[in-house]
Amino acid sequence: MTLPPERDSSGRFIKPEDDAPKPSDENMHPLSRLLFGWVSSPRTPLFLLILVILICAGLVVFDLAVNRHEYLDFANANGFYAIWGFAAFGLAVLSGWPLGKLLRRDEDYYGEAETTPQDVESDS
Amino acid sequence: MSGLIGQINPGLLLVLVGFAGCLIPVQRVRQALMVGTPVVAMLLLALAERGTDLAMVSVLDLELILYRVDSLSFIFGLAFLIAAFLNAIYALHTDDRLQDGMALAYAGAAVSATFAGDLMTLFVFWEITAVSSVFLILRAGTKAAYQAAMRYLGVQIFSGVLLLDGLAYVYKSTGSLSLDAFTSFDQPGAVLIFIAFAIKAAFPFLHNWLQDAYPKATVVGAVVLSAFTTKLAVYAFARMFPGFEILIWIGAIMTVFPVFFAVIENDLRKVLSYSLNNQLGFMICAIGIGTPLAINGAAAHAFAHIIYKGLLFMSMGAVLYRVGTAKASELGGLYKSMPWTTIFCIIGAVSISAFPLFSGFVAKAMTMSAVATEGYVIIWLMLLFASAGVLEHSGIKIPYFTFFGHDSGIRVKEAPFNMLLAMGMAAFICIAIGLPTIGGFGYGWLYNMLPCTTTAPADVCMISGKEIKPYPPYTVDHVLTQLQLLMFAVLAFILLKRFGLYPPEKPGTILDTDWLYRKPGFGMVKWAGTVWGKAGPAMTAFFAGLGARTFEKIETTFSPRGALARGPLTVSMAMWSAVLLGIVMLVVLVAS
Repeated sequence: MTLPPERDSSGRFIKPEDDAPKPSDENMHPLSRLLFGWVSSPRTPLFLLILVILICAGLVVFDLAVNRHEYLDFANANGFYAIWGFAAFGLAVLSGWPLGKLLRRDEDYYGEAETTPQDVESDS
Repeated sequence: MSGLIGQINPGLLLVLVGFAGCLIPVQRVRQALMVGTPVVAMLLLALAERGTDLAMVSVLDLELILYRVDSLSFIFGLAFLIAAFLNAIYALHTDDRLQDGMALAYAGAAVSATFAGDLMTLFVFWEITAVSSVFLILRAGTKAAYQAAMRYLGVQIFSGVLLLDGLAYVYKSTGSLSLDAFTSFDQPGAVLIFIAFAIKAAFPFLHNWLQDAYPKATVVGAVVLSAFTTKLAVYAFARMFPGFEILIWIGAIMTVFPVFFAVIENDLRKVLSYSLNNQLGFMICAIGIGTPLAINGAAAHAFAHIIYKGLLFMSMGAVLYRVGTAKASELGGLYKSMPWTTIFCIIGAVSISAFPLFSGFVAKAMTMSAVATEGYVIIWLMLLFASAGVLEHSGIKIPYFTFFGHDSGIRVKEAPFNMLLAMGMAAFICIAIGLPTIGGFGYGWLYNMLPCTTTAPADVCMISGKEIKPYPPYTVDHVLTQLQLLMFAVLAFILLKRFGLYPPEKPGTILDTDWLYRKPGFGMVKWAGTVWGKAGPAMTAFFAGLGARTFEKIETTFSPRGALARGPLTVSMAMWSAVLLGIVMLVVLVAS
């Protein structure tokens, strides 16, 4: 199966060429501009990463100050939930690579590929 | 007067109006009924007296209890009615008599089954949910939807047949059709009824009807379907199988395995279907624990889940309606044109992920706490893994790949106003029942409706001897640990994306257990059909020839024109018969 053209072989998005037409933001909804205008800024991903790291660090530090009383003893260890959350999420996502290879078939594997329901009135 | 009105089963009202609605051609009149009837039904429910048989009918010497409300059925019934109301608003932009009517009848059947006071009434409405809901898939009008609808109907009816078998055993052994909880699988009918419920609750290996059918339903149909069938099964388990330890393990497995399928699935409505399975696992696990805290956890989770899962299906439905697809590989950047839908979807996503201040947090907390209190370490770790998994597929994947991520360049109109209104109301409930209680507003409203309170009757909270204490979700410990779990999972997501380790969304069909009956199973049936098609005529010809030859032989021997009828042989036969008869008579004479 071939990858969509906008991604490379490891799944990363390929940066569009300078002369490639960029989707226009001219008709962006005013509320979108107000609430989510910051999303398309090139600095946003790095800013978000730093923000989340700071929050995570704060949660671990705060955990040191709190004497938790869990029913299960091992869960009282500082950072237990942090490690479990990080590892569980990582395992779930990374399992997608082998599982995708193992279980993914063509869209028409069971006959005709699924089509759009009749109550859809797409105007895109 | 209020006493008499309080005896009208609100579910039955919905069923009748729903069926009548299929015949009303005027769109606005029909829709007024679809929206108004659930509101009237909620008022009827508020007037109902708890713990007594409110409506009874005698059929063929069976005393059927059509309407009985207690603290367990109340919360499920109310959640179903709220969902029916929101769904009717969500469907206002369509003009589809059959869909409108069947959606309401389906909701009504689920409500009626919840308030059923005996197994036979439960069975009847159990089957009406199956028959009415199939139209929500059929109305999609595609070949794939038709085939999925037939598979769905087959599975649902099979569940009903098992329930009927089971209740017959119960009636034969006890002489009663009571909904009293089973205490062991050795009781007659228990296993059959358990499997009937298990099919509708989409247990592992019995689950695939859900992921097969729901994503192929209409935009409105998928929203409606997400609310009722599976939660009715959860209610039925809570009613009849609380404290069955096997449910703990089945529930835990149910929470974990859909996580892996949801990661690689491209159709976002199918991702939500897997997510539904995962959420049901928490409820089933809690029912298996069976303590009052756990039963409260299952009921609260079901209530919150009906609303936030409906909200997520609504948001994906709105995207499908406007864009024409709900496939992650084709979406992205829709926040630019559908900001309201984006906001509501995010509220649904953080609710299902159980972030503090949202409904999932206060609901799931009780189940997690009940599991830990009873010392099920492995189960608890599985549920904790599944909690991070929920964040992955419903908390991040759904909103990220639809509204953010790579800009697909798709620019559409915002969802129709009625869709936004329904989503807004659902989002409001997600927040309203998730906030700390301040001035009567907050999670206290949900907690006050829970089945196991100090005033609840003993037959609802089946495990006696357990103290029922108010559960405080907003403790420092709980908020801190939940935020640690979720924020570190978010950190994992950002890092995986940043380093290109997040698997790309690709179009395709993901194999699941339905492969067994859709490929080898269907192949075997097809092969058997071909073999029969060829062997049948050959066998018919062989036996016809054999019969003709045999008849011919008999005729040539015994008929009046046959060999035995010819003179000499007839004479000798008569003589030999006389001789043999004489010998027999002689033997008898000597012997006597």
